[in-house]
Amino acid sequence: MMQKGEMYVGWSTKEDVRKRGGSGGLVTSVLAAALEKKLVDAVVVLKKMNEFEAVPVITSDVNEVLNSAGSLHSVPSNFAKLIANKNLKVALPAKGCDVRGIIEQGKRSAINLDNTFVLGLNCGGSMHPVMTREMLEVMYKIKPEDVHVEEIEKGKLIFETRDGKEHAITIDELEEKGYGRRENCRYCTIKIPNNADLACGNWGVTGDLAGKATFVEINSEKGARLLQNAVDAGYVQLQKPDEKGVAARAKIKGAMEGLSKKWKDKVFVPLDNKLEYFRKELENCIDCGACKSVCPTCSCGDVSKCTEFHYRGDAYKMSMYHLVRFLHLADSCIGCGQCSDVCPVDIPLARLYRRFANSMQEELKYEPGMDLRKPPYFEAKLEV
Amino acid sequence: MNVYSTICPGCNFGCGLYIRENGKVEVDFRKSSPANAGKLCRFGMSLSRLYSPVKSMVDGKETALPEAAKEAAKRISASKGSTAFLSFGNTTCEELLAFQKLAEPYLCTGANFEALPKDTYQTLSVGIPYSEIEVAKHIVLFIDPYEQYPLIVRRLLSAKKREAKITSVWWKDLPLADENIRPADVSKLKLTKDSLVIADFHPLSDVEQVMNVLSLAGNAGAKITFLKPFVNSTGAYIISKDAKQKSLGQLVEDINKGTIKTLFCLESDPYGIIPQETLGKLTNLIIQTGQAGALTTKANVVIAHEPLYKKKGTLINNEGRASALGGAGTNGLEALGIVAGTKFEFDPLHESVKKMLGISAVDEFTIPKYERPQYGAVQASAKPIEAKNALVSVYNPFMWYGLADDNDFVELNLGMVRALKLLKGGNIRIKSNGSSIEKKFKVSPVQDNILLTGKRLGIEKGTLTPVEVSR
Repeated sequence: MMQKGEMYVGWSTKEDVRKRGGSGGLVTSVLAAALEKKLVDAVVVLKKMNEFEAVPVITSDVNEVLNSAGSLHSVPSNFAKLIANKNLKVALPAKGCDVRGIIEQGKRSAINLDNTFVLGLNCGGSMHPVMTREMLEVMYKIKPEDVHVEEIEKGKLIFETRDGKEHAITIDELEEKGYGRRENCRYCTIKIPNNADLACGNWGVTGDLAGKATFVEINSEKGARLLQNAVDAGYVQLQKPDEKGVAARAKIKGAMEGLSKKWKDKVFVPLDNKLEYFRKELENCIDCGACKSVCPTCSCGDVSKCTEFHYRGDAYKMSMYHLVRFLHLADSCIGCGQCSDVCPVDIPLARLYRRFANSMQEELKYEPGMDLRKPPYFEAKLEV
Repeated sequence: MNVYSTICPGCNFGCGLYIRENGKVEVDFRKSSPANAGKLCRFGMSLSRLYSPVKSMVDGKETALPEAAKEAAKRISASKGSTAFLSFGNTTCEELLAFQKLAEPYLCTGANFEALPKDTYQTLSVGIPYSEIEVAKHIVLFIDPYEQYPLIVRRLLSAKKREAKITSVWWKDLPLADENIRPADVSKLKLTKDSLVIADFHPLSDVEQVMNVLSLAGNAGAKITFLKPFVNSTGAYIISKDAKQKSLGQLVEDINKGTIKTLFCLESDPYGIIPQETLGKLTNLIIQTGQAGALTTKANVVIAHEPLYKKKGTLINNEGRASALGGAGTNGLEALGIVAGTKFEFDPLHESVKKMLGISAVDEFTIPKYERPQYGAVQASAKPIEAKNALVSVYNPFMWYGLADDNDFVELNLGMVRALKLLKGGNIRIKSNGSSIEKKFKVSPVQDNILLTGKRLGIEKGTLTPVEVSR
């Protein structure tokens, strides 16, 4: 029986999944095996809509899992809210921020973590699909429709076009020009999601297996069951990683975390007039509530403090809705950036929330979404 | 789990989204959508409330779609030419093409093209790409972007980052405007050929105001673009370009006169747009729709089919961008066929739509090329506000759809609050045409003597209603 802490390199035994999926199709096959062997009742997969977007769906169809899109850099997914309050026995792939959202929903009793199998995906950052299309035309001088495959390797974002040509630009250069990863991804420090049941990715896959296999680390007893199930079902093959691979993975992780810290300093420069800064940034708010609806750490539902204290007829210079959310998120914000993504007037909400959360979470030495040890400070739901 | 890639029906901005059917209707963000990058306004976020199921009915009794459509055909035939056909453009181009064949004797899209110069038709119908707004040097707004077309705000802010100057001609100061001019002071507006005028055009638009805006832009050689409130307004206008159309005002007059006794509404709920006393004069109100609305319980015949997001077909937004809806439903066409006594096939209608747009395939990432002809001189007139106080209706998607919003208040300025000695948390009394209501109020930088509302209050007569106000 596999154990927490073990590491493997593995791939799908199904040739078509290996061909279609990234890095040997291990994640797809583990999910399909979980469904087929009834470890779970449902799986979350991405249904591909075009080269730059996929929509998450919950399915119980093994074939739909095997034919799913895999992971795409231009799909800033948000799985925690998708599975919350549905009482599912489910397996799903998840970026670091997705994992954190799922754990926060678990703390708030909206997700039963005992029934949720989370396959964490290494993540250097995701990109907004509209920006990606513009970047391809402006920076790469290629038509978005011609893109066949995308990959991040050695600090470069690489697009392969249908004619087989590779087009590579360093992420640094792209981000200097305002393209590249979403802002919050640049300063995110969760590159290998050890808070998930499994942490999967291509970092550490070396030699002949490079690009054809996935490095997987078992982080929990649930993760061990999930991976063992896939092996027993004949869906994946595993082998022990070599020491060189393990070291390379740790090195990439360290380098990316270092870069994130630099970005954090760059984004969060000290402010002279904080009140005026926040007031100005929020003045275009149209009260749509999208930021709350996508927030993976919010489980309040329609009736909540931020909405109940707020009335559109109030003429406050900064609405009670935002003030309550600043307070709420000071301990809970995981910096996923979903709020900024959906804001119809482009308020950099994640940056505003992090302005409070950075100092608060450092002070409390509390990182939300990393484990279940501590409840959210302002939202503890005590069971009577 | 069914997921549909679709367009928000709230207005003609063309915002892409996903509708997920998961026991209930859920909205998800389609981040690759070129019009809105997946972002949605307050109305878009309320779509699960809008998409409430509807059933086919004849005189209050539930029935199946074919029976309801057959009954509609019977009543239209019996009305002997006294039937009008109304569609604001809340459905696909393919359905609108079929509808046009049915509606030939009396077609109403709501717009009052008859009163406007013919050579302005294309300008009123098809706007400019949103990307052109972002690079404009001077933008002049004759709308409240926050309340009426919220997804344009980010385009305006993007233009500001590129150092565009934004002038607002509105009854309230707008946070993003560099210059705020009141509508009565529009003569102070300085336009050049580098200016871009943004206005809106809808069934309740004041024709004189539309002509004034066209005239101002035309005389200065400025660009002008009209935003519109229905999901396929642009498609409806393009399709109806050569058709004889009646205005909403004409329709109301004909119903009042008794020459129109039956009204067939395709995906258009005239509640609040056509006066209730006028609707009450109809012998037959027939509604073909995909969702329950204010009038579906009152209509004589309801032909119910799938909601917009389940339909197959093409929509065209303000920019002229064509998008394919992600559903497969063609029940709307089936129903129109039964009513018309024929059969409408989707494919030939779709081919006609593509031919009309000069495209071989519907691709939401590429805007078809449109002719953007210059229009000649437009006669302008200045119509001053004669009332001491006036209530201005700020038409927005919630108003067009009769959907509740968190806006049960009127906006007025601090001067009016002080003059009337209104109390914080209290109400203002508003009287008009013998009716009186009390409303909460919000203090905003609004023009003196003006009250703004984004909600139907029941006392208004058009966009601007003279009122008396007191504590």
